[in-house]
Amino acid sequence: MASSTNTQNAEPLRRDDSTVLSRIADNPWPAARWVAVMGVLVLLELGALLGGFLNVVEALLIAVTGLAEVTVGLVSSSLAAGILGFQQSAASTLSGLRADTEGIPTLLSRDVIPNQGYQPGGTGAWEGPFLGLEPAYAWALRLVLVLAYALVLSYWLFRGWLVFREHYRQMEWSPTDDVVDKLRTHRWGQFGIVILVLFLTMGLFGPAMGPTTVEQNILSPYTEDSRIEYYNAESGSVETVFAGEANFNAKSIGSQDSNVGPMTYDDYGRFHPFGTLTNGRDLFTFMMGGARISLIVTGIAIGLGTLLAGGLAMVSAFYRGSIDLGVLTLADGIVSVPRLLLLIMVSAVFANTWLGNILDGGFLLAVVFGLTIWPFLWRAVRGPALQVAQEAWVDAAKSFGQQPSIIMRKHMFPYIMGYLLIYASMSAGGIIISLSALSFLGNGLGISPPTPAWGRAVSLGQGLVSGPSWHISFIPGAMIVLLVTGMNAFGDGIRDAIDPESDTGEGGETTAAGGGG
Amino acid sequence: MSKVTERTQTEGGRETLVSVENLKKYYGGEGMFADPPVKAVDDVSFEIRRGETFGLVGESGSGKSTLGRTLVQLERATEGRVLFDGRDVTTLSGDELKQWRRNAQMVFQDPESSLNDRMTIGEIIMEPLSAHGWKTKQDRRERALELLSEVGLQEEHYYRYPHQFSGGQRQRIGIARALALEPEFVVLDEPVSALDVSVQAKIITLLEDLQAEFDLTYLFIAHDLSVIRHICDRVAVMYLGKIMELGETGELFESPANPYTQSLLSAIPRPDPTADRQRITLPGTPPSPRDPPVGCQFSTRCPAKIYPEEYDDLSDDVWDAIERFREVVRERSRQELGLVDQARLRLGLFSKYDDIDEAVADLFGGLDAPEAVTDAIESAREQVKAGNPDAAREALFDEFNGICDRERPVLQGVSDSGQQSYCHRHAPEYEPPETVLQRRSDDE
Ligand code: SF4
Repeated sequence: MASSTNTQNAEPLRRDDSTVLSRIADNPWPAARWVAVMGVLVLLELGALLGGFLNVVEALLIAVTGLAEVTVGLVSSSLAAGILGFQQSAASTLSGLRADTEGIPTLLSRDVIPNQGYQPGGTGAWEGPFLGLEPAYAWALRLVLVLAYALVLSYWLFRGWLVFREHYRQMEWSPTDDVVDKLRTHRWGQFGIVILVLFLTMGLFGPAMGPTTVEQNILSPYTEDSRIEYYNAESGSVETVFAGEANFNAKSIGSQDSNVGPMTYDDYGRFHPFGTLTNGRDLFTFMMGGARISLIVTGIAIGLGTLLAGGLAMVSAFYRGSIDLGVLTLADGIVSVPRLLLLIMVSAVFANTWLGNILDGGFLLAVVFGLTIWPFLWRAVRGPALQVAQEAWVDAAKSFGQQPSIIMRKHMFPYIMGYLLIYASMSAGGIIISLSALSFLGNGLGISPPTPAWGRAVSLGQGLVSGPSWHISFIPGAMIVLLVTGMNAFGDGIRDAIDPESDTGEGGETTAAGGGG
Repeated sequence: MSKVTERTQTEGGRETLVSVENLKKYYGGEGMFADPPVKAVDDVSFEIRRGETFGLVGESGSGKSTLGRTLVQLERATEGRVLFDGRDVTTLSGDELKQWRRNAQMVFQDPESSLNDRMTIGEIIMEPLSAHGWKTKQDRRERALELLSEVGLQEEHYYRYPHQFSGGQRQRIGIARALALEPEFVVLDEPVSALDVSVQAKIITLLEDLQAEFDLTYLFIAHDLSVIRHICDRVAVMYLGKIMELGETGELFESPANPYTQSLLSAIPRPDPTADRQRITLPGTPPSPRDPPVGCQFSTRCPAKIYPEEYDDLSDDVWDAIERFREVVRERSRQELGLVDQARLRLGLFSKYDDIDEAVADLFGGLDAPEAVTDAIESAREQVKAGNPDAAREALFDEFNGICDRERPVLQGVSDSGQQSYCHRHAPEYEPPETVLQRRSDDE
């Protein structure tokens, strides 16, 4: 079946080193079809995609240069200052670029499908929202379209791999195929992937998903740009007001007459899908704004932790002996430091320094989390790494003089990557919760206000859970639970997919292998 | 010794490629409180000639694989030298070692584990070439395809993964990888023992063909004597880290000199059933390599062991019982006593070793042993029961030690063609092994 479409099989093996490009040139149609659809998808949301991409690049740049600065700073402060300078200029260039991308029209933006407006005369058609719809419907339409777009885009990326696999890959079969095929029948794991995609969508398209913008509603509600029009029933006319002023009259503080609950409008005709916060800000917008920073901080933390854990696990397993013991001692030392204490100390020391201000304090948190979480991951993957290091193919590579670094990368890493993914996805949940908990504790910990952070919403509504303003704590809490559950589901899916025994039906062996993992 | 060396160089006009001198490989045992080291390879010397297939046979745990791995520098020798073309390779490191590695490659036992499942066959075979920066990528690819056909696989296998191959095919891939760098010397570590019998023969034939084509020198490690007999020019038989016997394959199989080789060979069906060699079953199990015998490594199980003169008149059955009893005592002396047992010992409540009574009854019941023997056994039994098996072991050693228990033999020439054997019985004052074995087995 595959051979009829796979030109590679029909011909004798080529002696030339054919590249993917040359294979595409030979059989361009499948690739062309895929690229065409992908192109349309990207064009639709070019601005948002570029913006999100630049955001990630910026975070990475800051992470890398920040770490370099700190390390180099130990040796030479002038060099460190140089790195700092580079970082600042690069970051400002990136911010400029990002501002430019905001000018690129995107289809699923609030300009195309606006949802804010007023009813001239208090009833009838709405002035402002898309097609004169009620703001709730206009917003819901945009939200659904954005989510659908994200899901389609993710699927299409996966589809790209399928096209490659079927038409352009020289290998008819690869071990990855098995993993993917198993994931395709793993409902629980797919649930995890969908949740992950949804939250990533919030991070990427968050600005378009909220009923209003973080800028207007939260960060600078008293600027001229932040004026909104509404129908004043008392005067019977359409008036304008600062968003901040409107917020002031839309607080949810737990009493019946001062509460804007989920799926309701406030007095200014603004729709609040998740209700408002105690200060009248829109909770949904707040959550969307928080998604980006929460995900970036979690991403940096878990990336750093995984990198350290994976690298050190391989070094431990490959060299064993005193090196292994050294890493173990280091890990134990780090574990013995209470993380909260460390976070408080670091936050205090770096408060109001440039390092403490990157990503509104989130960068420092991410680094502390990354540096303190790796021992747990390391312990989890050291076993598998030791096992791989025992395999004869590692000996074979040593016997022809392969460099240790390449042995670790080619012959060990692929086998522990699955475990790393599993444990990383599971500890990511913990990091998200801890991050939220930190914002919850407040007092200069966590991401500094007014930048939205999920935990802060939980903490703001803490005292109001039993009253009409229950939504302030409950909804962010539930979302965190959902994300953590999704992460765990994803980890479970990966675990089952990489377990070679999981579909053989040999019950005993399956459990044995599962227990070993 | 020197006479033998001379002969190896002239005979057949083959020069020495690998010369192993007093090689030792110990594991652990460093530090003040560590257990004694495991002596996996304990002072071994031999030579491998260019172009030959040198067999290394032994039970599992005899150190044959460790020896093979040490020869290709996968393990660092504890002591001794490995001369490759006259150059000591145990001292190489860094770039020199890497360069040398091209000359010596290895084929591994388990085809399931020897190939990285996440790489395609092409990548696997090309990897040694890339590691050594061999020519261009294009050339490496050509070479990999060439090697695939050399080992009897097809070019289209290039883009497949190891999962898609059978054990025999995987072993062919392993062989192709080992040959990629055009080595002179290849260690074959039980290359066929994990394969089906039907496939074994094909792989052996392939190895022979490749040897002829590329002038390879093999070290063929096996536990299966029949495979060795088929493919090897010369054979060394290992037991507990030591070479017991070494010689031309034909000669060694026809007229084994060492008692260990004789007992091994007695176990395989012989082509000539009229030859009256009885099957010798070895008693007991090999001793722990952490605690090898002081004298001949084989002395705890040897059916031709030299007994002390004072006990010349003892029957074989009694000797057998004594040796088995000594083995039981040795086992006891190796056990570490837990804290509770040590406390019991102090309090005189120790009873853990009371089963020694049973052992004595089992072994000596119905035997007509002279008083000197029974006395010695009795007192040893008491000491073991009292929780002191070490002392019992010492006492038994002092009472029953013959030369085999006391002294290490030397590997010495036993024929004109260079056959060597590690046994005291080759000294003129002792009866040669074959006659002893003949007599002792006839007695049964
Ligand atoms: S030296 Fe003694 S124990 Fe060793 S093989 Fe020869 S006869 Fe047997």
